[in-house]
Formats: sequence, structure tokens, C-alpha cells
Amino acid sequence: MLELKHELKLAKNRDEKARMNFVSGLRAHVLNDMATGMRAVWDADVEPAFRRARGRGPKDGPEVHKAIKPNEYFKFYSSLRVTAQDMVWQSVFPPLERNRPALKDKAAKLGRAGKARGSLTLDPALEVPRSVSAIDVHLMAGNYDGEYEEGDLAAGALYDNGLAVFSFGLMGQNLDDIGQSIAGFIKLKYPDLKPRRILDLGCTIGHNTGSWKDHFPEAEVTGIDVAAPCLRYAHARAEAQGRAVHFKQMDAQSLGFPDASFDVVFSSMFLHEVPRKGIEKIMAEAYRVLKPGGLMLHMELPPNSQLSPYDAFYLDWDGAYNNEPFYKPFRDCKPEELCWRAGFDPKKYLQFVIPSIGWYGEQVWREAATRPIGVDNDKTGRLTDGILWYCFGAFK
Amino acid sequence: MRRTIRGGRPYFFADPAIDKILNMVVVLASEVWTLRERLAAMEALQVRQGSLGAGDIDAYDFGPEDEARLAGERKEFIDGLFRVLQEQVEEAKARVARQPKPEAKAGLKGKPKSRPKAKAKAKAKAKAKTRARRR
Repeated sequence: MLELKHELKLAKNRDEKARMNFVSGLRAHVLNDMATGMRAVWDADVEPAFRRARGRGPKDGPEVHKAIKPNEYFKFYSSLRVTAQDMVWQSVFPPLERNRPALKDKAAKLGRAGKARGSLTLDPALEVPRSVSAIDVHLMAGNYDGEYEEGDLAAGALYDNGLAVFSFGLMGQNLDDIGQSIAGFIKLKYPDLKPRRILDLGCTIGHNTGSWKDHFPEAEVTGIDVAAPCLRYAHARAEAQGRAVHFKQMDAQSLGFPDASFDVVFSSMFLHEVPRKGIEKIMAEAYRVLKPGGLMLHMELPPNSQLSPYDAFYLDWDGAYNNEPFYKPFRDCKPEELCWRAGFDPKKYLQFVIPSIGWYGEQVWREAATRPIGVDNDKTGRLTDGILWYCFGAFK
Repeated sequence: MRRTIRGGRPYFFADPAIDKILNMVVVLASEVWTLRERLAAMEALQVRQGSLGAGDIDAYDFGPEDEARLAGERKEFIDGLFRVLQEQVEEAKARVARQPKPEAKAGLKGKPKSRPKAKAKAKAKAKAKTRARRR
């Protein structure tokens, strides 16, 4: 299990650590070993049977899903993956509930006015969209916005500590591999960009927001989200890590910023949590708040249109079984279409597949900034050994 | 904090009981592993301190205080093992809590007692039929 590196890390006893170790190990087994096993079963049995019956291979992810669903290995893979997913959060609840008062005190000290480098601005009048308030995304009981007391930040702590167990090291030592890989990549690729104001949409606990401050220390970095408990935690977390980041409670579908006020508008693993209509509003808002010449960039799951039917099925598993109702609809979108519908010039569309800096090391990652990697790779967007991060966007 | 997932969990086997039993097996495996880590820590410490003699553990009996503490921990262990079943109970309880409270008895005077029950039964039957058809 990955140990969080900052002050807000929960104090855990020997048994709680062992349980987390076990769940991380179980997840690695399911997502590496069993995923490879399921592919083997597909190639050996399910796919040939499909061909015999239809006289052709499957044409898309849903056809693969339908064909593999009755297979026993798929059932064990899926049932164990759901169990492991649930156990991630269950392994955090006991130490979290015990540490809650201490956590609140620590956060209050870290965020004290006059001492804090960044800031926190909440909007109690903000209406949390149903896509957040009505479901427990990723089977996380309470979701991002669950509040149990005044000034609660437990949901943020649940997510941070849970992510450490969930990611079994593949999201970086500070859970910021996405932010570090991408912010650094953009700096290498576009040395003239020199952003002065950077915005991170749907930032939750700000684990990928801070990376922008690391790579662009001169810039003012802002993270927004609808969930107050996550933002309270994000603020304290950024302060604990000594990063000046400003967190604001805001809906990305209706930003409270003036036109042309940011050089970079970023998001990571965010759009797939939003219904299609909301995504369109987010894109339009990103376009509005960007300065001419500014960059909109979304780190996301790769689109189905650019993957093989099997890989499309594999990634859409979450949409079917992990309380992710907007996951597949997003992955069925064409990212370039989303951009030009929002007003971006189709000629200024871009997409990258960026090697995880933590997994591949700096050399491979640096090389990637000089030559592109193809999207249709069974490492793209998959939380598995050798992960590659996909992102798309456009210059304004 | 609420620990039950809104919207329930997906099941994969023809009989959801298999998914539930698999969950229990894995939770149990997690606890077995947890014990092994704890034992390894204990052994390492005691070896380092030279305080454990051969056969000491087999000959040891817990005192009443330790017995009581262990009983509490054992209950937590068992509750955790069968948490997946408890979810069903919590869902059922929540459903009951959502239902409107029955009218005061006086208000029902004169109405045949069996009617509402019969209606509910017919409804349940119709529901079961649609469910069967969907399958």
C-alpha cells in the first residue's frame, strides 16, 4: 500500500495497514493478472465462438461485453473487482472515523488566515448537480459531497486515502502522476506558452492541481469543484505540501470568472463523470474563460472510436459496474467534435498519449514530448503496469 | 459515516449468493493476511528483544480483561465478514422507513381488512411476472 506523504495522512494501526496492503495487492492481482487472464480467455474461447456464430469478429465494445458476459472467468474477474473496489473504501472508514476530530484540527491549523499560501472560497448557495449529489461514484459511499457535520472534510480524506489503496502505486507517490506527467509534458512541448493563470476543473482534492504550480511556479493556479468537503481537504492538503493553490466552490458548467481570464484550462478524469449536456456547457465555458492563444486540455479515458472493440469493452467495464453512468456516453463522444462544437478551431485540435512519468521514468517521458504515441494501445487509460495517460484539447 | 453504496452493487453469477460468498471469502482472506502481518511483526519484535521462549504461546491463557477485549474484537471481525448481507437488511429497513406510516386504526373502521393485503399480493405477483419476462 502507498503511504500518503503529507501531514493529513491518517494514523493507522498495524491491522489497518495490513488490510490496506491486502486490498492494494488484490487490486493489482485483478487489474494486472486477471485482466491478462480475461484477455487470454477472450482470445482462446469467446472470440472464436463469436466468429463461428456470426462469421465475423465483434464490431464494438458492447458486442464484446455481450459475448463475454456469460463466461465464468469474466464473472469472477468482475465480482472480485467489485469486491476489491468496495474493500478500498471499507479499509479507510475505521481509521478515518477515529481520526476525524484530529484531522479537522490539523486542517484548520494549516488553513489559518495569514499563514496559508493559497485560499479556500466556498459558496454555500451553490446547487450540487445531480450527477454528484444522487450517486455514489466508484462505489464510494457518501460520494465526494457527503457531509456529516459543519465544516466536514471526511469525504476528501476518504478519497485521498482510498486512492492510495486503489492505485497500488500507479498514480504516483503523491497520487499526482497524471498532473506531473501532463503539466511537465506541456512545459516541454510548448516552451513559449508561459501561462500566468491556470484553472483546474472538477479538481476534487487537488491532487493533480498542485503539479501545475510545481511546473509553472510563476502562475496563479486555481482549482474548482462542486463538493465542499473535497475542497476543504484540498486546501489543507495543498498547504501541507507547501503549494500556493486557490480552491473555489464552483460548477464548471457555469464559471464565475470573466471572459479571457486564463491561459490554461485543465481537467483530469472529470468529464466522464458529467452527463453529455453538461460536458458541452463545460467546453463552452472553457472556451469563454480562455485567453486567445490559451490552451484547453482534458486528461481523460481514451474515446471508444480510437480503440479496438476489446479495449473499448475493457474500459467501459466501469460504466456498467462501478456506478459510472456517464462513463460510456462520454467515451462514445468524439473529443474533436466536442472541441469544435464549443467554438474551437478544428485545425487547433490536439491529442496526446503521455507515458506515466512514475512508471516509465523521465527519459521515456521526455522522448514522448518529441514524438507522439498512438492511442490504440492496451496500456492507454488502463490502470495497469505501463499506463499511458490520454489527453485532448485545443488552443483558442 | 454511511458505508453502504447507494444504488446497490452489481452481481455477475446466475445466483447473487455466489457473488456474496465470494465477497466473504475475500474479506476473510484479508483478515487472514492481516493476522499474518501482525504475527510477523510480533515475532520480529520478540526475537529482537529476546523475550519469547519456545512453547510460551501454547502454554498461555488470556486473563479476563483480555478475554473481554478479544470478545469485542471478535464480534467486529464477524460483523465485517458478513457486512455484505447486512447491506440487504439496511436497504430493506430504508425501504420500510420511506413507506408512509399506516393510517390510524380508527380511520380504517368499516373497510374489509383483507383488501389492502390482497391488492399488495396481486401487485407483487404482477411485478414478479415482469421480472421473469425480463430475464
